[in-house]
Amino acid sequence: MPLNKSTGMPSASIPEVARATVLAGLQAADPALRRSAAQTLAGQPEAVPVILDALERESSLAVRTALLDSLAATPGDEAVQALAGCLRSEDAWLRNAAIDLLRGMPEQVAPVIAHMLIDPETDIRILAVGILDTLRHARVEDWLLQLIDAETDVNVCGAALEVLTTIGTSAAIGQVTTLMRRFADEPYITFAGRLLLNRLGRSA
Amino acid sequence: MNVSAEAPTSNISAEDFERFREYFYRRSGIHFESTKRYFVDKRLIDRIQAAGCADFREYFSLLRFETSGREWQRLVNEMTVNETYFMREHYQFDCMVQSMLPELVARKPRGEPMRIWIMPSSSGEEAYTVAMYLLERWPELARWDVEIVSSDIDTRILAQAEAGLYSPRAVHQLPAAWLQKYFTREGENWRINRSLREVVAFTRVNLNERAEVAAYRNYDLVFCRNLLIYFDDTSRRRAAEAFYDVLRPGGFICLGHSESMSRISSLFAIRKFAQAIVYQKPLEQA
Repeated sequence: MPLNKSTGMPSASIPEVARATVLAGLQAADPALRRSAAQTLAGQPEAVPVILDALERESSLAVRTALLDSLAATPGDEAVQALAGCLRSEDAWLRNAAIDLLRGMPEQVAPVIAHMLIDPETDIRILAVGILDTLRHARVEDWLLQLIDAETDVNVCGAALEVLTTIGTSAAIGQVTTLMRRFADEPYITFAGRLLLNRLGRSA
Repeated sequence: MNVSAEAPTSNISAEDFERFREYFYRRSGIHFESTKRYFVDKRLIDRIQAAGCADFREYFSLLRFETSGREWQRLVNEMTVNETYFMREHYQFDCMVQSMLPELVARKPRGEPMRIWIMPSSSGEEAYTVAMYLLERWPELARWDVEIVSSDIDTRILAQAEAGLYSPRAVHQLPAAWLQKYFTREGENWRINRSLREVVAFTRVNLNERAEVAAYRNYDLVFCRNLLIYFDDTSRRRAAEAFYDVLRPGGFICLGHSESMSRISSLFAIRKFAQAIVYQKPLEQA
């Protein structure tokens, strides 16, 4: 019968490669080799600059994904800062991939998120709110409330309010009410604010 | 999944539950929602008692520091859900023999085996269904060698799969002719014949352990059905990446009907066949 019991699973293993080999691997013509080299960099803080450099020039989606995963699997501030830095990229795929990864790293993101929420660039603040959307961290509501207290851009406030409509608690009532007054002429803020207050059993 | 209505005999505090949930997630990739608290507590208490520990704290220390990994494996066996049946979502097997395999063999070098991975294996129903489908509905089997590997994190269920004894419920969707041909009746149950048991390799693997999955490469077809629904976003993405590396370029992966690779990873292409929607690793690496 040509149905053959497999004689053994291991047909390949993660190669034990030296740094020089990894660097050479990242420049190989075959994307499978570059992806394999990218995966070996996971968990090595000293490899963060190498990963960022490779991300700059890499065109293969599979390799770029492996590079980002390696970054996310690396302990230390430098790696999470590097991922946060990807939010400034012109490349929408890179921004979205970085956001997805940061959402799954609540403890590592916590020390940097406050800075991202006061970044001079409006887009970065909006993307930071996007990270908070599904971040499993006890301080998410606090961060959003601090943001809407001080934020002057209506789009950033709108993004924060949208997240609060889902996760906001009674602790948000005062600040959301103030926000609605500050932006009384903005229909979306009024709408989302009412939605939240109604959910919390308060009328606007 | 069957969850008993019987109350646990002692309490797992909310703090203990959170600690355990985080620990179990980190080691297995399986995340329990808070709605599964009762399910988790009951099994945890069973294991605390079976291991002879006085309380959660003592048991948690045992889990974390034991060198053999035996208690961890027993716990995993308790916490994983194993419920399936022969011919489940059979349209994907129709797709396998009518669409995917013809496409795969069209570019496969003669002499290279066709490799199929079922992950998770559960009690073996899917792996044996694949084998029967190939024997009954894929005439090309005469010309190709096929290897079927069926893997799971749960060693107890793998032993059950190798034994191949099934309840009437598990076989209720099988064609009567297949039941007669490939099974032997044992009381109320049905045992799959040795000839079929011998063509499936059952192996243990933790999909969340990259080093373990690295041993699985060059597969043409993967069935991973109704597993990712138990994972959180991060683990799903990690699993999708693992499957990407497991597959040959052009290889296919079938997920459960409620699961969508498009929401997990952009590494795969959607393939809409007449029988089913499946996902494909691009022939040329993206």
